Amino acid sequence: MRRVVLAVTGTIAGLVALLSFKSHSPTVPVAATTGTVGGSSSSSSSTSSSSRTIPGEFQSVAGTLTQGETEITGKVANTVYGPVQVELVVKSGKIVKVAILEQPTNTIHDIQIGEFAFPKLISETLAAQNAKIDAVSGASYTSAGYIASLQSAVDHGL
Amino acid sequence: MSPRVVLAVIGIGALAVIALWWHSTPDVRGLGGWLTGAGEVLGLLCGYGVVVLVALMARLPPLERGIGTDQLARWHAMGGRYIVSLVVAHGLLILWGYAVEAHTSLTSETATLLTQYPDVLMATVAGFLLLGVGIISMRAARRRVRYETWYYLHLYTYLAIALAFSHQFAVGASFINNLAARFWWSAMYLTVAALVLWYRVAVPLRAFARHKFTVIGVKAEGPGVISVFIGGSHLDELAAEPGQFFRWRFLTRSLWWSSHPYSLSAAPGTDVLRITVKDIGDHSRALSQLRPGTRIMAEGPYGAFTAGRSDRGVVLLAGGVGITPLRAMFSTLPGPVTLIYRASTEQDIVFRDELDSIAAARGAKVYYLVGSRAEIGGDPLSPRMLRSLVPGLDEQEIYVCGPSGMISAAVEALRGAGVSRRQIHFESFEF
Amino acid sequence: MGTVVSFDVPDWADQVLSRAVAWLHWVDARFSPYRDDSDVSRFGRGSVTLAECVPELAEVLAACADVAALSGGYFTTRPGGRFDPSGYVKGWAIERAAAMLTAAGSAEHSVNGGGDIQCVGDHGPGQPWRVGIADPLRPGSLALVVAGRDFAVATSGVAERGPHIINPHTGQPATGLASITMVGATLAATDAYATAAFAMGPAARDWVQSLDGYEAFAISPGGGTWQTGGFRAYLAC
Repeated sequence: MRRVVLAVTGTIAGLVALLSFKSHSPTVPVAATTGTVGGSSSSSSSTSSSSRTIPGEFQSVAGTLTQGETEITGKVANTVYGPVQVELVVKSGKIVKVAILEQPTNTIHDIQIGEFAFPKLISETLAAQNAKIDAVSGASYTSAGYIASLQSAVDHGL
Repeated sequence: MSPRVVLAVIGIGALAVIALWWHSTPDVRGLGGWLTGAGEVLGLLCGYGVVVLVALMARLPPLERGIGTDQLARWHAMGGRYIVSLVVAHGLLILWGYAVEAHTSLTSETATLLTQYPDVLMATVAGFLLLGVGIISMRAARRRVRYETWYYLHLYTYLAIALAFSHQFAVGASFINNLAARFWWSAMYLTVAALVLWYRVAVPLRAFARHKFTVIGVKAEGPGVISVFIGGSHLDELAAEPGQFFRWRFLTRSLWWSSHPYSLSAAPGTDVLRITVKDIGDHSRALSQLRPGTRIMAEGPYGAFTAGRSDRGVVLLAGGVGITPLRAMFSTLPGPVTLIYRASTEQDIVFRDELDSIAAARGAKVYYLVGSRAEIGGDPLSPRMLRSLVPGLDEQEIYVCGPSGMISAAVEALRGAGVSRRQIHFESFEF
Repeated sequence: MGTVVSFDVPDWADQVLSRAVAWLHWVDARFSPYRDDSDVSRFGRGSVTLAECVPELAEVLAACADVAALSGGYFTTRPGGRFDPSGYVKGWAIERAAAMLTAAGSAEHSVNGGGDIQCVGDHGPGQPWRVGIADPLRPGSLALVVAGRDFAVATSGVAERGPHIINPHTGQPATGLASITMVGATLAATDAYATAAFAMGPAARDWVQSLDGYEAFAISPGGGTWQTGGFRAYLAC
C-alpha cells in the first residue's frame, strides 16, 4: 500500500513540477515580421509542418474585389503550432473583409481550436477596427500569431 | 547486469522520454494546457513503459541471469499495474484537456476523438484491453482463474501494444514534426519486438531441434510427488547449473499449449535431466500420465539461484516443494554443506533416501524439521533454532527456497541470527 | 526576448529604421535572460561583475532601484528569485528606439513592442495617436481607446497568458486585477510602473493617483473598472 501511495504522489508531484516549469517559460517569439526582436525559441523542428487553406469560408478573397477595395496579404507568422497568415480587404481606410490564408492544421486538435478561435477573432477585428486604432495595447499571446500577421497587414497597407 | 544497473537504465530512458516532451512543448497555459500537457507526458511514459514491461519478460539472458526470473516477474507485475493506471489517466486527461481547449463538452469531445482523430479508436480499444488484462491479473482474480486461461488472456497485451502504436505518431504532439523522435521510437519498438521473437520463439525452436528433449520415464517419489526423467542430445551445451530451472512444454494433446517452469532436481547429466513436481494443479497431475518418448519443447536454463564460488560453508534451507533445486545443489556444491528441510508432515518429505545417502557420502548434515512447533521443540525458523543447528551460522552462504511465506520468515530469522543480507540468496516459486 | 515590435514611421524614415532595429537586437543580445551568454544572465549567475558588463546595465539597474523604491518594492528585478530586469528593459529599449528616430529627424512616429507603445508627435496633421486597449476578459475586443500625442501606453495583464507577474511581497502570482493600463510621457518608466501596479492589485489606485504625470485605467477580474483622476484627458470617444 505504501508503494501505491508513493507511486501516486510521486507521479502527481512530477507532473506538477514539469508543467509548472513550462508555465513560466518564455513566450515563444513569432518570427518573420518587420522589426522583430528575436528571442531564442524552443519550437520543435518543423520542417514538415503542414498547413493548408481550409476551403469554404476562409478562401482567399482575391478576385471578388469591388471598386475602391484593396487586398493586402500579411506575412506568414510562424508559431510553434504552425504558420498563420491573414489577408485583408480594405476600403476607404477600413477593413471590410478578413480571410485566414494559413492556419495550423497538423492535427485535428489544431483545426478544432482554429474553428473556434478564428471566426471569433475575425468578427472582433472587424468590430475593433471601426475604432480606427493605430495600435493595440495588451493583446494576448494566444492570438499573437494572428495579431502579428494582422499587425503586419496593417503595417503594409494602412 | 545487476538489478541496480537495469533500474538505472530504465530510469534514464524515462528521463529521455520526459525530455522529448519538454523539447516539443511550448509553454503551458490555462486549465486546458495543464490537462493536455499532463496527458501528453503520461502518454509518452506509457508508450515507453509497455516496451520496458515486454523487455523484462523477453527472456533476455543477461536479465534472467543477473536479476532472476522471479524478480523480473515481480517488477513486471508492479510496473504493469502502474502503467495500466497511467494509461487510464492519460486517456481521461487528454479527453478533458482537449474538451477545454476546444470549448466543447466532454461527450462531444469523446465522440470527436473516437470518430475523427486517426487511430484514436484503435488506441482506445487497446486501452480497454490493457485495463482488462490488468484486472484479470489482480491477485483476487488470478485465484479464481486457471493459470492457462490467465496466460492466454495476458497475451492480448501484445495486441493492445500493436493497436496503440499508430496513434502515438498520428496525434502525439511530440512526434508530429519530429522525424528523429519517430525514428528512435520506432527503433525502440522494433528492437524489443526482435528480441522477443528471438528469445521467446526462435531460441526455443532451435533448442528443440538441437537437443530433442524427450521423456524417458516417470517415477513416483511419494504421495502426490513425481519425478520426470528427460533425455536429449548435447545436453551439456545447455550449461545448466544446479538451482536453475527450465520452462517445459510437453507435446501431448492436453499439455502442448502451456509451458511451465520446473527446477532441475538433480545435477544435470550429459544425457539426462530430472525434474520433480508436486501435484498441485491440472498440469502437474497430467505429468504423471506422461509416456516415454513424448517430445518436449524446453527453454532454458533460467534462474539466478545458483551457487557462486565461495570459500564459505553453505546452508541450504528448504521449505516444502522448495527442496527441488536445493536437492540438485546438495549433491554438487563443493565444501561443507548443511541442509535444513522444513516440512509440515512426514509425507511431505521428498527424496529422503537420496538426501541421506548424499549426506553420508560427502559428510554433510541433513536436518528434517517436520511437524508443528510443539513436536520440534521450538519455532523451526527462529534465530535460536537455526544457530543451534548450524554453528558459525553467520559465516555461511545461505540458500533459501520454498513458498514465499516461508522465505520471508526464514530471511527474517537469519537476519536475526546475525547473517548479513549479502549472504542470503533466495528464489520464490510463486511467479 | 520574444516580443514582436512594430514601427509606424513616415515614409522617408526607412533608413533610420534599420539602426533602431539593430539597437533592439543589441538589447536582446545583452539583456535577454533567456540567452546564457547575455550580460544579464552572466551577471545574474555571478560570472561577471557589474563593471565588466555594458554600462547600460548599470544604468538600467539604477533606474530599477528607483522604481522599486518608488513602488514600495512591488517592482523587482528578481521576479521568482531569478535576476531578470525585463520589466524595465523592454520599455526602455522601445523608448530608446523611438528616441533614435527622433534624433534622426522624425517628429511623428510610434514604436510598439508587444503592446507597450511609445508615441512621438502626432499621427498626421492634427491627429493624435489612437491606441486601443485590449479587453482581458473578452479576447479580441477592445475595452476602450485612448488618444494622445508624445505619450507612452503600457498594459500589464492576465489576458490569456495566465497570471505571470509575481507579487514580490507574497511570492505568489498577482491576481487582484485582470489588467491595468498606464499612460505617461516615457515608456521605460510607464512600463515599469504598470508592472508594479499590477503586482499591487487594487491598492495601485491610490499609488498611481499619487504619482505626478502618470494615469491608470484598470479592469478587475470581475469586469468592473476604475481609473485615476487625470485619465479622462486621454479618453477618446
